[in-house]
Amino acid sequence: MFLQTLITGLSIGGIYALMAVGYSLVFSVLNFSNFAHGAVIMLGAYVGLALATKLSLGFGLVLAGSVAGAGIIAVLNERLAYSVLRRRKAPSLYLMISAMGCSVFLENLVYATIGSRFYAFPEFFGRQVLTLWGSSVSLLDMGAFLFALVSIFALHVFISSTRTGIAIRAGVSDMTMCSLMGVDLNRLIAIVFLLAGGFAGVAGVFLGIKYLVYPTMGWVTNKAYIAAVIGGLGSLPGALAGGLILGVVETFVSSYVSSVLRDVFSFSLLIAFLVLRPNGLMGQDTEEKV
Amino acid sequence: MSAGHTFFSVTGLTKDFGGIRAVDDLCFSVEKGSITGIIGPNGAGKTTVFNLVTGVYRPTSGAIHLMGEPIGGLRPDAIVRKGIARTFQNIRLFNRQSCLENVMTPLLQRERHSFVGSVLRTPGARRRQRDLADRGRSLLASLGLEPFASQQANTLPYGLQRKLEIVRALATGPELLLLDEPAAGMNPEETKRLAELIAEIRERFDVTILLIEHHMDLVMNICEPIVVMNFGALLACGTPDEVRSNPDVIAAYLGKGKKSHDASAQG
Repeated sequence: MFLQTLITGLSIGGIYALMAVGYSLVFSVLNFSNFAHGAVIMLGAYVGLALATKLSLGFGLVLAGSVAGAGIIAVLNERLAYSVLRRRKAPSLYLMISAMGCSVFLENLVYATIGSRFYAFPEFFGRQVLTLWGSSVSLLDMGAFLFALVSIFALHVFISSTRTGIAIRAGVSDMTMCSLMGVDLNRLIAIVFLLAGGFAGVAGVFLGIKYLVYPTMGWVTNKAYIAAVIGGLGSLPGALAGGLILGVVETFVSSYVSSVLRDVFSFSLLIAFLVLRPNGLMGQDTEEKV
Repeated sequence: MSAGHTFFSVTGLTKDFGGIRAVDDLCFSVEKGSITGIIGPNGAGKTTVFNLVTGVYRPTSGAIHLMGEPIGGLRPDAIVRKGIARTFQNIRLFNRQSCLENVMTPLLQRERHSFVGSVLRTPGARRRQRDLADRGRSLLASLGLEPFASQQANTLPYGLQRKLEIVRALATGPELLLLDEPAAGMNPEETKRLAELIAEIRERFDVTILLIEHHMDLVMNICEPIVVMNFGALLACGTPDEVRSNPDVIAAYLGKGKKSHDASAQG
């Protein structure tokens, strides 16, 4: 029972981490809270759903298609709604409001076209279970957790060793300076959104398989914001740790205390972190951005 | 204007911010290999000129030419590739990165790069990375910063941070180096050493230098010609002696009944 709960928690935490990574990446480069991230996750899930049901593709192709689809949607979102504001050097509050607008717009677009029905993915993994140390663990949960770990590690390697990754890190500290070093900012930001969208696509597919696909499923991104704050906004290892911690804590609260108290507990955790440790577990001091 | 032969020139350069004209129909040129100084009271628009030249702002009107090519209104990264680099009045390093990484960022941008190679760490990519790191280290060494290569940039003392900013600008491989108040916050002794360093950089890296400065001793010692700006417009231009004896310049600095704008400008 304990191990089962732990693995379920890690799997949910892995999905939170996948969402938090993309959100955190955009935050650290553009310094605004991209509230449209949830809508991109939702659209990624619909792309995966269409590939799985209409084209009957296997899990690997569904995941790849959803990554590509959500990545492209995120880039378009930036081009259409943020890039003009960014070039005008608008305050980041404007970008945030624009993001909220995008989120509501995209949700309602799905309501108006696809409808409010709940859809389920075909059962890729059936009800397969692994037996680990005497307790049975769902293959999907295990897979989601491992995939989250591997893909976030791959992102970490990308950020720390490629030319674009190093430019992204430079951009995190000073965008203008970064362009004065010869970095094409439009291209750099497109790559950041492509990455964030790709991770949103993965999260969307896992969420859709684990639960259901529906227009407001992106709201769960609230948890990604909490995860990002716990880990430290802008820090990738922080987003991973924050997601896993939140997932595990939530699952234990709902199975050992009360599932009604789960979200009360999560959001209390958010407020506690903001008050007591605003830089999160691995975040960097905010003083220098001032 | 004969843009074909001048190394660098601005013609009729104008920049409006709302109703305020920060740069007003400015014309001047820079000769290859020179150390040209821009002086003027605070608020004269000197830094705005740098922002226009480097593409941080777009000019309202007017033209900027580098080696006969129009560069006005291009994006900052495109202008860097044409060969203009700059430093800032208030130091803007990539604070969280090491000194070496600060220099590597521009070096990598100039390099042909294989994405797959650098993720998989193929031997070729690793060798290129090593070569690049060596170049970064020798650049740091050229200004005596090599011992601090792995130290985080914002932990360096102020004077060294200034030097690091200059090294990082040089790492973009510029033809024209813009220095915005390189001696800000330095005492006379440090300023003197900086003047020697700037002259040395010009020789060693074969760059032309355009600098904004309030320390008159530095400007009068190493700059020729000197461009004087006031209220966004060109007030005078010439050798240190010509500028020093120009009545308009004296009036602008000492003020006609107004107080002097800046104490350090008296130096």
